Amino acid sequence: MDYFRAIYKADERSPRALRLTRRAIHLNPGNYTVWHFRRLVLEALNTDLDEELDFIQRIANSNSKNYQLWHHRRWVIERLGSNARAKELHLIKSILSLDVKNYHAWSHRQWVLQALGGWEDELDYCQQLLEQDIFNNSAWNQRYFVVTRSPFLGGLIAVRASEVRYSVEAIVANPNNECPWRYLRGLYKDDIESLVNDREISSVCLKPSQEFRDAVVALWTSDTHPLDADLATAICDILEHVDSLRASYWIWRKNKLPIAA
Amino acid sequence: MATRDPLDFDVGVEEDEDGAPSPSSPLSYFERDRHVAFFGMLYDLMPYHYQSQEINRLTLAFFTISGLHLLKALDRVDKDRVASWVLSFRAHPINQAELKNGQFYGFHGSRMSQFPPDENGVSVCNAGHLASTYCALAILKTVGFNILTIDKESILISMRNLQQPDGSFMPVHLGAETDLRFVYCAAAICFMLEDWSGMDREKTKDYILNCQSYDGGFGLMPGLESHGGGTYCAVASLRLMGYIEDDLLSKNATSSIINVPLLLDWCMQRQAIDGGFQGRANKSSDTCYAFWVGAVLRILGGYKFIDKIALRGFLLTCQSEFGGFSKYPRELPDLYHSYYGCTAFSLLEEPGLNPLCAELGMTDLAALGIL
Repeated sequence: MDYFRAIYKADERSPRALRLTRRAIHLNPGNYTVWHFRRLVLEALNTDLDEELDFIQRIANSNSKNYQLWHHRRWVIERLGSNARAKELHLIKSILSLDVKNYHAWSHRQWVLQALGGWEDELDYCQQLLEQDIFNNSAWNQRYFVVTRSPFLGGLIAVRASEVRYSVEAIVANPNNECPWRYLRGLYKDDIESLVNDREISSVCLKPSQEFRDAVVALWTSDTHPLDADLATAICDILEHVDSLRASYWIWRKNKLPIAA
Repeated sequence: MATRDPLDFDVGVEEDEDGAPSPSSPLSYFERDRHVAFFGMLYDLMPYHYQSQEINRLTLAFFTISGLHLLKALDRVDKDRVASWVLSFRAHPINQAELKNGQFYGFHGSRMSQFPPDENGVSVCNAGHLASTYCALAILKTVGFNILTIDKESILISMRNLQQPDGSFMPVHLGAETDLRFVYCAAAICFMLEDWSGMDREKTKDYILNCQSYDGGFGLMPGLESHGGGTYCAVASLRLMGYIEDDLLSKNATSSIINVPLLLDWCMQRQAIDGGFQGRANKSSDTCYAFWVGAVLRILGGYKFIDKIALRGFLLTCQSEFGGFSKYPRELPDLYHSYYGCTAFSLLEEPGLNPLCAELGMTDLAALGIL
């Protein structure tokens, strides 16, 4: 590290300085000063940035949860521009295929989409991941990100009907899966009234047993739009017993219910 | 041993990974003395396994020293020596004009990122970091040093250089990711220094609000999946900044700037069937989320709703016979999960532990300056 300090202080932007940063990064990949200096040297030497991506990839293979590494990668991609897009999205896919909930990879993917585009195939990708594992909340979150932000889908209202169908199907298939319930609620983010009044949803979700219980929990999250108070009370009573881990919570919720008219 | 710096590293010899001992059956109660021994060992000499985290030396020191304080074992710590050691990481500006040069004059994370002073006594190549600065101030408070006596102006004025147009914070001027973690560090620094001139509070608030996800939790950046750590950073920051009241649930929650019912429900669902807390939906329980999510519930006034017996049971399966806690049940302990295991037991009001200040992540005594 003394070599590094000396070369950094002298601001020597040379091939040997680049090699030294490589060594220092291997020893301590979290050292942001080294990464920063490496960027200065890369710029000064006009290095081939595709090679730099390979270098980053080799480091990532041993530790893909290093924040500096992902920041550095973003810096390189910014310089390569939209030419790097397809390759980058593909690379993130391969990282996610090994660790499908890698938060860094998802964060980087959202950045690439916003900075360079590539939205066209993203909904299909989410679909594919959810077919592999319908319990994967990272994929549900990405789906929400796409339907609310993709310039090709026309916004949340435009896709709502088909997304509601999709999430209701997922709920029916696995009523215990928290993700589609949250997603369904999210589709009506600022419009809970419509969610509560949608007959299609209530006819499917307000069936007895498991589905019935979960539906009311998901639907009823606002103090200002009460369901039928007797029904809600009944639900809280059920939950207090079947979801004993949260018994105190359901008792509290029940006591917060508005008095039935 | 006496000539070493506090929290010095063991040089280490490679050992056979397979030869590592595996913990036996869980212990049935909170083993305070073993934890004191565990943190005490790390205080005396940090094992070489932590060398790759050298850059975050002050963070490791914070976990160790605050851990001992939670365990009411601060007598293991040489307070004056620790205080002067921490102060030695400070990045000092040459003059007032430098405070506007884009850099941050907080604390360095370790000696490695710090350059020795030149012949004029000025240290060039500043790399002050927000997380290290939060940890430095937290350690100083823990050892009873009055942080209001340090040159706080230069920290606060130069911290504004790190705030981005969207309200988020970069941790270091050299360039790095911006997200809620550093928003939290900035808020905690302003709170501890009792001066909010270090940030544009409105902008910071807007950024935090943009991170609340459709399911009620907070992602680390706008658009990202709700996450226990992100949710803690968001809620604790809003609390420190005075945008939400303490014990919100006992008041009229619907008038809050965040969606409190949805947030509460999200937090409540994080307690899994094994009694532990998960950081995201449909993931495994992990010791540290008993703090990240538990502390959010404490701030909101909803901690009373969780199943404390089940949580305690889960945490005990992560307690190591060597002291400390692991991430998952029956694994070897590490410093990070050991610290958050102890904070979780403090939230559970375990006897033998000091009470926790949830929003600052340290003991109440240190937060209030009663030492």
